Amino acid sequence: MKCKLITATALLALLTFGCNEPDDGSYTAPISIYEKIDGQWNLASVKMVDEVAKANGVEPNEQNLSGFFNYEDFKIRFDVDAAGQPTSYEVLGDVPTLFPANGYYQLSSPFQQPSGSAVRIHLFSDAQKTQKTDELRLTAVPGSAQEMELQLVRTSSGTPFVSYVFRLTASN
Amino acid sequence: MKRFIQTIVLALLLLPNLANAQQEMGPVGPTWSFPVVYNYDEEVTWYFDLSTTQFAMGEDIYIWIWSPSEPDAGNWENSSDFAKLTYVSGMTWKFTLTPTLYFSMTPEAIAGSAGFWFRLKDDAGTKQSDVANIAYTPFSSFYTANELIRAYPTAPSIDKGLSILFNANLAPGFEGATSVHMHSGLNNWDLQVQYQSWIPEVVLKTKLKELGNGFYKMDLVPKEYFAAPDGYIMQNMNFLFVKDDWASTTPDQVLNAAEYVPPPPPVFSFFPQQISKRDFLGIIRTNNEPGIIKLLYTVTAGATQITGEINGSMTEIKGFVNLPTALQNVNATEIHVLVKDNTDRTISDTTIPLKTLD
Repeated sequence: MKCKLITATALLALLTFGCNEPDDGSYTAPISIYEKIDGQWNLASVKMVDEVAKANGVEPNEQNLSGFFNYEDFKIRFDVDAAGQPTSYEVLGDVPTLFPANGYYQLSSPFQQPSGSAVRIHLFSDAQKTQKTDELRLTAVPGSAQEMELQLVRTSSGTPFVSYVFRLTASN
Repeated sequence: MKRFIQTIVLALLLLPNLANAQQEMGPVGPTWSFPVVYNYDEEVTWYFDLSTTQFAMGEDIYIWIWSPSEPDAGNWENSSDFAKLTYVSGMTWKFTLTPTLYFSMTPEAIAGSAGFWFRLKDDAGTKQSDVANIAYTPFSSFYTANELIRAYPTAPSIDKGLSILFNANLAPGFEGATSVHMHSGLNNWDLQVQYQSWIPEVVLKTKLKELGNGFYKMDLVPKEYFAAPDGYIMQNMNFLFVKDDWASTTPDQVLNAAEYVPPPPPVFSFFPQQISKRDFLGIIRTNNEPGIIKLLYTVTAGATQITGEINGSMTEIKGFVNLPTALQNVNATEIHVLVKDNTDRTISDTTIPLKTLD
């Protein structure tokens, strides 16, 4: 009986570890967010969020703006140079200006944060990126689905009171 | 030939059975009365929905009633004409009677009886319905209830009976009234039957029935009384009672119709709760009154004025004011917002502070 048990245990161990052969692969540079967001994006939807109402659990705290102000024509383009570094951005379409319609940009980090907090897209009016004009949050990074989400948050004394959430799809 | 003989034999065999058979016609469907409430010495019409029975449409049907008394006793196999129902339409029959006369009883005796119990049958008594009962709604509590008005039912339907009781003792100025009349309308006086005291037919039509001691009753079916066109949706009935030739009136009364669910009240709101001059200002109004389908706004920030209109429906009117574009080069700490509807009624007249952005 005891012998059988030992044999069974050994067999199980063999099955578990026997074929484990780690494959470390060869080194490739990780794909940065710049590569992922490079290009032109079309609007899927845009909504306005009442952050004060949301914080207090008051409904409704969202309004869909997709059907207003020509937002169906909204497009945004992020450019990168040959070295994969961020250069300029531009909003296309005859829509109201919630943030400067063109300028230069820089991410707070070229990679997603282990903490999960959204990477910031800092917007600048100059190519040297010294005059910051606004900031977007990259709340959903493009993956296999060619979709991303940008959030523009309005704050006063550090407290958000309104935000705009743009859902975008890659334009081919 | 053989089959023919068989058929005859079969028929002969069945014949005695048929002659003796009491054909059960099933339960009597809903019954109702007009007037809805009545005294036992008042003429009343009972209505019977027999769609639940096997009686044929328009068939001659008789009532055989044994409580509170049995007027047609002994005539089961040949009902008297006075017990015959009148066919109305569909599968509805009616029977008109004055209970005290029909049963030869005093109102008190009828009130103390077991109620109205009956079967419906054909003349020869070969077909009979199940035993059924006509419900009676007592209303004597009104005499001591200290209520000015009481309606049966409280929420009327356009094509069903309605009885309105009135205690004139509680209406100032109604002492010594010769007659009391109803001045009324459906749907906020949309369809009126005015008390035109100079037209005899109108005086008669609008006159309340006197119950004695300053109590009165009005019985009507709204659709007929107001001659409402087919498909008319009754939302409410407005009325007041008038003494003699407009010597005195009660305050306006209203009964909401049973099928009518009062609409939720309109709700107006701005969106969001806090705003900067770089944000859209949402203007939203839901559950609008009939005909309200547009809002016109005037937003003033310092010397800058933005006007526009928002189209929508009774369900919702929603739009956004493009402050980011309009106030791009304006320094303002607050905006004044005036919102009117398409009837030039002011919906909102308010000042909204603008948040300073970080």
